[in-house]
Amino acid sequence: MKNVKNADYYQIDNRIPEICQLKGIEVLSAKLAWEKYNWTKKYFLKKPKHGYFIWVKKQPQLPIFTCITIANKNIKQELQNLLVVEKNLKIKIQGTCNALKRNLAGVHQAKGKIILKQGSTLQYRHIHSWGEKDIVEPNYEFFLEKKAKLDYSYKVFSPPKKLKMKTLITLLEGSSANLNIVGKFSQTKTEFEETLILKEKGASGIIKLRLAGNKNSEITAYSKVVAQSESKGHLDCQGLLMNKDSKISLIPELICKNKKAQITHEASIGKISEEALNYLRMRGLKEKEAINLIINGFLEN
Amino acid sequence: MLLEIKNLKVLGNGKEILKGINLNIKKGETQALLGPNASGKSTLAQIILGNPKYKITEGRIFFNKKNITKLSSEKRVKLGIALAWQNPPAIKGVKLSQLLEEISAFKGSISTFFKFQKIGFQLINREVNVDLSGGERKMSELLQVLSLKPKLVVFDEIDSGLDFKKIKEVSEIIKKELLAKDISILLITHSGEILKFLKPNITNVMVAGKIICKEKDYKKVLKTIKKYGYEKCKKCRLLSNR
Repeated sequence: MKNVKNADYYQIDNRIPEICQLKGIEVLSAKLAWEKYNWTKKYFLKKPKHGYFIWVKKQPQLPIFTCITIANKNIKQELQNLLVVEKNLKIKIQGTCNALKRNLAGVHQAKGKIILKQGSTLQYRHIHSWGEKDIVEPNYEFFLEKKAKLDYSYKVFSPPKKLKMKTLITLLEGSSANLNIVGKFSQTKTEFEETLILKEKGASGIIKLRLAGNKNSEITAYSKVVAQSESKGHLDCQGLLMNKDSKISLIPELICKNKKAQITHEASIGKISEEALNYLRMRGLKEKEAINLIINGFLEN
Repeated sequence: MLLEIKNLKVLGNGKEILKGINLNIKKGETQALLGPNASGKSTLAQIILGNPKYKITEGRIFFNKKNITKLSSEKRVKLGIALAWQNPPAIKGVKLSQLLEEISAFKGSISTFFKFQKIGFQLINREVNVDLSGGERKMSELLQVLSLKPKLVVFDEIDSGLDFKKIKEVSEIIKKELLAKDISILLITHSGEILKFLKPNITNVMVAGKIICKEKDYKKVLKTIKKYGYEKCKKCRLLSNR
C-alpha cells in the first residue's frame, strides 16, 4: 500500500508537492482543471483556489490515493474537488484527510463533486483524522448516472473540535449507493446531514450510520431519503452513548413521491450493556479493554 | 484446597439469593451442583467470578488460599478461574476469532490453539453469541474457557438444550482438555444428564439458596431427584451431610 508521500494527489496545507500521472487518469490541481477544461466550470461553479481534479478515462489497475494534510498552525484549506469516472469503469479510491498534530487549530473545508457516468463503479474509502482544535466541513455531492454503483465509507479515527458533514447522493435509473458513516467522538460537536435522492426508476440506496458518543460530545445526524420514482431506500441509524455528558440525536426523514417506492428506516440509540461488559471482564479483559472491544464491534457491525 | 467458599450470603436486587453457602473444591476434583430453577446456582457461578451485580453481605471466597472476595472479575480470571455462561450475551460486530486473540493465554497465533483443539473452525468467523444455535453457543463458551488455560472451570448448564450426542461430544472435550490435565470443575446442571459422562467426585444439591446435600454417589442423587423431585429433596433419607 502507498503511504501519504507517494499518494497520487498529495496536498500539504495549501501546497501540492506531489501529483502522479497514472495511465488513463488525469490528475490536476482544481485550479488548473478550471483553466484547461471549460466543461468543469459547471461543476466547480466558481474558480477553485485549491483541491484536486481527477478524471478517470480508462480502467486503472490500481486504487487511486489522495491525501490532504494540515501540517502547520492556523491553516485554512478551502478545497474544491472534482472526480469524474467515465462509463463502465470500476475504480477504488482511498482518500485521507488529516492533521499532523493535535493542536494546529486548522480549518478544512471541502466541496466535492463526484460524477459516476453510466455503468461505472466507485468504491471510496474516506478516512479523517484530526486534532482537537480543528474545524472540519466536508460537503460532497455524488451524481450517479444510469446503472452506476457507489460504495462510500467515511470513517473518523480522531475527531476534530467541530465537524459538519453534508453528503448528497442523486441516483438515476438503476443506480445504487451504499453510504456508511462510522465514528467515535469525544469533546466534539458533530453534525451529519446526508440525503439520498432516488430520482429515477430502479434506483436504490442505503444510508448506514454507526456513531458512538464519548465524553462531552454532541452528535446530530439528519438523514433523509427522497423517493421520486419507483425505487428502494433504507436508513439504518444507530448511536451508542458511552458517557452521561454526551448527547446523540438521530433524525431520520422519509419523503415519498411515488406510490411504488419502498422506503424504510430504523433508528436506535443505546448504551453499553452491563451484561456484555461483565461477560468480557470474565474473559480476563480490563474494563477499558472490554469497553473498547464492544465499541469497535458496534462500529464495525 | 483450590476453591473455598465460606458461609457466603449474597443479595441480588435487594433480595437474599444465597443464604450461607459452603463449598470446597480440591485440585483436580470434579463437583456437580444440582438444583431446581431459581435456586441460586447461576448466582453462585457469577459470584465466584466476581459479577459486581451481586452484593456479598457475609462470607468469603478463597482461591489457592488467597482471599478473592473483593477481587475484580478480570483478576480472578488471571488467577485461573473461568466460567462458561448459561446464556452468554451477544457481542455484536466482534468475531469469535477476534475475542480469542484478545483473551487467549496461548502464546502465538490463535490458529496454533485451534490446531490443537480441532474444534470450532466453523465458529470462529461468526460474531460472538450472535444468531448461534444452542449447541454452537455451548461450543463457543467451551472454546473461550479452554483458551484461558484455567485451573478451575465453572460450567453453568453446559448440557442444557443439547441432545445426547452433543452432550457426549462436549463431555469428551472436557475430559480430554480439562480432567486429563488435573483441572478442577464445578458442573452446574439442572437435568444432571452430563454427570453420566463426567462422573463427579461429589454432587451437591442446592435448594432455595442453600446447599442441602453433598453426596459422593451421583447416581443416588439423580435417582432420588427423579423419584421425589427437588421439592422433596429435604426429606430424602439418602441425602447426607446436611
